[in-house]
Amino acid sequence: MANAPSEEVAIVAYAQTPCYRAYPEAEPKMIMSLVNQILDEVKIDRHSIDFTMAASCDYLSGLPFAFVQNVDGYGAWPPVYESHVEMDGAWALFEGWVRLQMGDIDTCLVVGSGKSSPGTPREIFPLQMNPYYGAPLGIDPVSLAGLQAAALVDAGKATEEDFAQVVSRSRRDALDNPFAQVKKDVSVEDLLKEPYFAQPLREHDLPPITDGASAVLIARADKARELCDKPIWIKGIDHRMESNNPALRDLTDSVSSRIAAESLGIDGASFDLAELCVRYSPEEVVLRQSLGLSDDCTINKSGGPLCGHPVMATGLARVAEVARQIREGQGQRGLAHAASGAALQQNLLCVLEGGA
Amino acid sequence: MARQQCAVIGIGQTKYYKKLDVSLDGLVRWAAQNALDDAGLEWDDVDAIVLGKAPDALEGVMMPELSLADGLGAIGKPIHRVHTAGSVGASTAISAALLVESGIYDTVLTVTYEKQSEGNATWALGGGRSGSQGAGGSFAPWIRNYITKTDAPEHIGWKVAVKDRLNALRNPNAHLQLHDISIEKVKESPMLWDPLRFLESCPSSDGAAALVLTNKAGVERSGRPAAWVIAHQKRTEFTMFPGRDTVMVKAGVDCAAALYKEAGITNPRKQIDCAEIYVPFSWYEPMWLEGHLITEEGDGWKMTDEGATEINGDFPVNMSGGVLSSNPIGASGMIRCLEAANQVRGTAGEYQVDGAKVAMGHAYGGAANYFAMWLVASEPSPSF
Amino acid sequence: MSLKTTTYTLEYPYTRTTGPVVGRFLTNLRDGKLIGVRTGGKVICPPVEWDPETNKTIEDPDYVEVGPGGTVKTATWISQPTRKHPFQEPFAFALIELDGCDTPLLHAVQASGPDAVKPGTRVKAQYREERTNAITDVYFVLEADATDQYIEPGPGEVEMTEHLISIDFEEIMAPQRLRFIEGLKQGKFIGGKSPVSGKVYIPSKGYDHIERVPMDESHEVEVQQTGTVCAYTIITPVQYYGQEETEPYIRCSILLDGSDQVLGQQDIRDIPVDEFRAGMRVKAIWKSEAERDTSEIDNRWGGTGACLERWEPIDEPDVPFEKFSEHVF
Repeated sequence: MANAPSEEVAIVAYAQTPCYRAYPEAEPKMIMSLVNQILDEVKIDRHSIDFTMAASCDYLSGLPFAFVQNVDGYGAWPPVYESHVEMDGAWALFEGWVRLQMGDIDTCLVVGSGKSSPGTPREIFPLQMNPYYGAPLGIDPVSLAGLQAAALVDAGKATEEDFAQVVSRSRRDALDNPFAQVKKDVSVEDLLKEPYFAQPLREHDLPPITDGASAVLIARADKARELCDKPIWIKGIDHRMESNNPALRDLTDSVSSRIAAESLGIDGASFDLAELCVRYSPEEVVLRQSLGLSDDCTINKSGGPLCGHPVMATGLARVAEVARQIREGQGQRGLAHAASGAALQQNLLCVLEGGA
Repeated sequence: MARQQCAVIGIGQTKYYKKLDVSLDGLVRWAAQNALDDAGLEWDDVDAIVLGKAPDALEGVMMPELSLADGLGAIGKPIHRVHTAGSVGASTAISAALLVESGIYDTVLTVTYEKQSEGNATWALGGGRSGSQGAGGSFAPWIRNYITKTDAPEHIGWKVAVKDRLNALRNPNAHLQLHDISIEKVKESPMLWDPLRFLESCPSSDGAAALVLTNKAGVERSGRPAAWVIAHQKRTEFTMFPGRDTVMVKAGVDCAAALYKEAGITNPRKQIDCAEIYVPFSWYEPMWLEGHLITEEGDGWKMTDEGATEINGDFPVNMSGGVLSSNPIGASGMIRCLEAANQVRGTAGEYQVDGAKVAMGHAYGGAANYFAMWLVASEPSPSF
Repeated sequence: MSLKTTTYTLEYPYTRTTGPVVGRFLTNLRDGKLIGVRTGGKVICPPVEWDPETNKTIEDPDYVEVGPGGTVKTATWISQPTRKHPFQEPFAFALIELDGCDTPLLHAVQASGPDAVKPGTRVKAQYREERTNAITDVYFVLEADATDQYIEPGPGEVEMTEHLISIDFEEIMAPQRLRFIEGLKQGKFIGGKSPVSGKVYIPSKGYDHIERVPMDESHEVEVQQTGTVCAYTIITPVQYYGQEETEPYIRCSILLDGSDQVLGQQDIRDIPVDEFRAGMRVKAIWKSEAERDTSEIDNRWGGTGACLERWEPIDEPDVPFEKFSEHVF
């Protein structure tokens, strides 16, 4: 059970790096540029930020303690109050938001980063599976996405054309996103001509390999109004988990997203826009249905992770995107979603609204 | 809204040992079930779970909250995983406390662990390459500098090593049960990273520790002894920069100062009854006594030497045997916080400090650049 | 100019104690059987240690043999297997409803093509000749393609399973690291001088984290060949998988003249321990140009690869402790 938050917290600034195929320098440098960008925009000193939450995953770059170097990027001298989750930045945002609920500090900087380019993700991610029953079989997220897609098609809940439509729309929308990595105008018909990769998925149904980072600065009520003209209010954050064993889950439904939505008391139909962590095209079909998003809701105007997937920053980038879209007048109420684990094992929802 | 009160009402641990014959699920469930039983609660009573552990490469399991979710009863619940290197156990306890203090969650289960028998800690700490100096190799030069700076006699480290292992004999969970430990034995043990000898260094352990944290209403409902979390702080600094003091680490000094200020403590040595401090290598006891403002700079070794940190001294340190006696890295920081809670609840058995009302749990990590500390008390709002 | 890369492999043979339940499952696999556990009225395979409904530990597990046949529930044909997959030619991952079991098993099916593995297809477990007490000991084929196997039961109970995890990485060398390496090849120590503080970092990381500014080749400086030992320890090598060191050696940090940051991970094997001390003055003695080897240097770890022959004490007074005590790391 989760109780309603008592403090008003808003996003006052956000920043993303471009989605790089391979960032040519050290990860901390990527982070430093984002943090400087936010500090410059909001015109505050690094040390006036009360709390910092970092997010990254050592296994992406194959170095135990890699995250320690990232401290260089977000600044820690004189010493700072900070913590780190080995998860996507959206979960760092969750902890930062929870911390601000205590009412004694005003601001939190949240940074998520990752370089997927050095390794082969399909060979690393199986280590998220059960170490006895799953990991030794090399069960990777692409294969599980294929299984999820097959389950959807078998159940009559989606067609291959539905998947291709998600990809076609996303890539076209990405043409307008300066941060996106993969962007092109490609028709559903052309996409469907491609060979299968993890049937019924094709290579374009999978995310690119990306290096990147994203950051947001959040603040409590009056502080938020002081730091920016248009605070984007976080109305709630909730996240829920499902079984690690895909055999025990209904892959055609996102049960944990439903639970999160219910806990937040939200009606999916109330959102003007949404940024969903669609790493594989069938995930959009599942999430749209599970969250009850209306047909009028604009989904992944940024192109979403299918067009740029900086692992460990992707979920936080969705939050940054919703904030940006609301600020730029594309809607008043938006839903940001983050996922962790293969085939949407764990899901986080963040409700954002414009207004004073 | 004001900060909600938060207390530990359940404590659970595994036995700590070189190799435990359990699966990873079995390891974390062992501690978690013990904590729930102690709290008088069921799995269903848990609103959120916080998991913590050190590098994934120690067990070769990536983002273990995903594969442990089922075993930890996390299905349908929020669960997240903290990682702040060696200090992770304490950071995790603090993250869990935040969930309650924020008012968002009522009852939180937090678990930390390490199953070092599956991999190799020195290998992991060296990034999987040959020539790893390990943690001891990194800290030894700074210890040497402390000794040079303070002119401390060489036996101080040995004294700490003996004290903590003798304390461990009172703790049935502790990994090392060295019945014949003595100054001579420590002094004669092989040198690992000069000046640190084998018996001045922590073991490599399997183990898990868990806490159940709840708010005031939860404490009243449970009827269980409570260790109230009265303050917690974390501080981080860069690992390397010109002018970095690796003995009186600024992040450690700042963290302690902030902790005491938050609790209203002005004289930590007198107002804190006992402490569980992260001492993986013997000399870190005197170093942290200074580095966390318990005594004057340069006097830490004297406090140790005069017996102040013995279990019946005026500032007992590591009554449970400490990290020197059990070190499942991911859990060690939480074990410090947990043992502090044991003390103020009066549940520390054979290593109970009589009348302990305020206790400190502490951990550090990385290149001694991460610090996480908490203070627990037998009352929710003690005044000093 | 091509971007130089550095490669490394993270590899370890993990040895996992299984506990009784996973152990029993793997023991049966070794002996050519699949088992589940009955709990809460259901048979679950692979067996779990707790009841999924109540979360309580199953005190006295009731193991049940399941399969070897089963029906495919869902399948996906993998056209490009990874090196970690059970097969290196295309195959299917499938959710298999084993006979006698209430939960599907996620495993691999070997077949001629995607059309052969569909919902409803009957498959059967087969066991590998070489079994290693792991989930990979078993795999599935179409029922029609299955052969009868006689598996001799092994001795005792499986209590440990091994997983050799080996992952390769190839990363672009950060520009300032590359310059540092090029410098080493030329017998020079190349660092970077902060445009804000003027402090010299070696090797440069491409930024000054204190002043929060990026740095590049325009900030490059060369530092001197002489320096002061700031801190050291004597390492007795721990024997672990991949370790190549066997004899104790000194590892120290040296503050080169002109630098504000120490050069770490300098291994000393030819100055006697009783002559070695913090504060002593040393100079770099290089290997011949042809022998300098920078292959071990990557984006993160310290050291100078195998470019230096040794550090030689120089005849200058030791530097007092206070002067270098803040340049230890």
